[in-house]
Amino acid sequence: MKTANRLLRRTPAGVIIAIALVITLAPVYWMLSTSFKSPQEATAQNPTLWPHEFGLANYEKLFGGTLPFSNFLVNSIVTSLIAAVASVAIATLAGYSFSRGRYRLRGAVSVLVLATQMLPLVVLIGPLYLLLLKLHLLNTFLGLILGYTSFTLPFAAWMMKGFIDAIPTEIEEAAKVDGYSRFGILVRVVVPMTIPGLVSTMVFVFMNAWNNLLYPLTLMSTNTKLTLPPGLLQSFTGQFKTDWGGMMAAACITSIPLIIAFFAVQRSMVRGMTAGALAGT
Amino acid sequence: MTASTAVRRRPAGVGRRLRRWLDWMAIPTIVILAVVIAYPIIEAIRVSFFDYNLLAGEAGAEFNGIENYSKLATDPVFWESLKNTVIFTGGSVVGGGMLGLVMALATENLGGAWRWLRGVLLTPWAIPVIVVSFLFRYVFDQDSGILNALLARVGVADAVPWLTAPEWALASVTAANIWSQAPFFLLIFTAALGSVPTEVIEAARIDRASVWSMIVQIKLSYLRGAALVGALIMTIQNFNNFPLIWSMTEGGPAYSTTTLLIYVYRLAFTTYDLGYASAIGVIWLVLLLFLAGLFVRTLRGDRA
Repeated sequence: MKTANRLLRRTPAGVIIAIALVITLAPVYWMLSTSFKSPQEATAQNPTLWPHEFGLANYEKLFGGTLPFSNFLVNSIVTSLIAAVASVAIATLAGYSFSRGRYRLRGAVSVLVLATQMLPLVVLIGPLYLLLLKLHLLNTFLGLILGYTSFTLPFAAWMMKGFIDAIPTEIEEAAKVDGYSRFGILVRVVVPMTIPGLVSTMVFVFMNAWNNLLYPLTLMSTNTKLTLPPGLLQSFTGQFKTDWGGMMAAACITSIPLIIAFFAVQRSMVRGMTAGALAGT
Repeated sequence: MTASTAVRRRPAGVGRRLRRWLDWMAIPTIVILAVVIAYPIIEAIRVSFFDYNLLAGEAGAEFNGIENYSKLATDPVFWESLKNTVIFTGGSVVGGGMLGLVMALATENLGGAWRWLRGVLLTPWAIPVIVVSFLFRYVFDQDSGILNALLARVGVADAVPWLTAPEWALASVTAANIWSQAPFFLLIFTAALGSVPTEVIEAARIDRASVWSMIVQIKLSYLRGAALVGALIMTIQNFNNFPLIWSMTEGGPAYSTTTLLIYVYRLAFTTYDLGYASAIGVIWLVLLLFLAGLFVRTLRGDRA
């Protein structure tokens, strides 16, 4: 009786989880499976669940064809990585300041920084475009990375504040007695203790930069300087419009770095994000 | 003054006198945000009072007062995009929230090794937006998409043009967005479920509460705060959602998936009418500030 009752309690949950797994994974499986199909099979009216002719042609075409796919990939990796490292370096300073600083504008500044997170990027992009034009930074990676920081820096600073808040102050007090400067304490004591938080914040910035379409679309004009989102968008809405196989192969490669990064730090990133969002005031 | 603050602020007297306005460590962040955010906002507000063509630049700009704003009232595309924004945002938040809630409740008691299943359910969150849009363009394709193939197999014969018919496009884009955002709600609700006091659950169990009444009468009341916060975060985010819609439909067919964001982008970078685009942007900034204010107040109330 008891086990029957428990089973009855568990079964609906099991069914829901099964359905949720199918909804979650079916599109992802579909992407993976199509990327190995031939063009005919990918556009067939009657789709096959498993590629009948398993082949790597779609992937070979991405790297060997007319599409500057490897350019897009390298541009995405380089700009996102630099944005991640630079943002986190600056955000660590700000986060430490918001967490430990004792100055009058602390509350106001930190809330103001968080508020910028909510601004629509599209409103900012016109003036930013003109500004970068004046500075001759349009169509340069430096300009693009500067743009990325506008939407990654505020939240990164708040995430770092959350992680630093969790560190007990006693050790810093001890370091202060030992004669360390404030910056020295941050670099030698605080940063080593918050490495997991630092890495998750970096992944957060990296994901945001990797996902961004608007900035590279408007700020970059040379085709080979585009990152993956605008590059792929232009390629696969133009001449390769219904090359579903190629599109899915490109989608798979674009996903891999993000999926790895996300699952590597998933746990602490979620903690940092919710801390940043929930402790927001 | 409590003892602990006295200790932290040593030496007490000097510290108090030297208490500064700002901290140098916050300055790099402030400077960067001033350049990439504050300056553009001020510019956007200024430009919204000009007839400003992006290509002509400063030289060709002419002050035209509130003309850009008065134009809004009679611009049918503006009103349609506002409506689409509300439908897209509302649908995504409600749909994603429900799906996330159901998944959180279903996976709540997963123990031991089964816990990785919840991790698997987070996968859509790790998928880049451009990939989500490609994926669903393919799924929703009229001729070779899997959705129509499935419908045909079930017996619904006519292939539905999900993304190319004005009556379906917005719903299809919203569905794709729900798929990618449900994990966010799953996480928020899982965290909130973890904070339901065990005594309450125990007491209900002793009273032999059914699973259903346990969920509806007890757990949901503890989830209200998380639901509110999650909904506000996602409302703001979806208000600003550009990449998904742009790469799935570019706002079409006709204006059926044009949200305010897409409209502003088109005005600024296709017709180069930066003045009018900025006016819409400013209106919308006000709307968002209102939402943000609500957000901050909700958080305050939640913690008190």
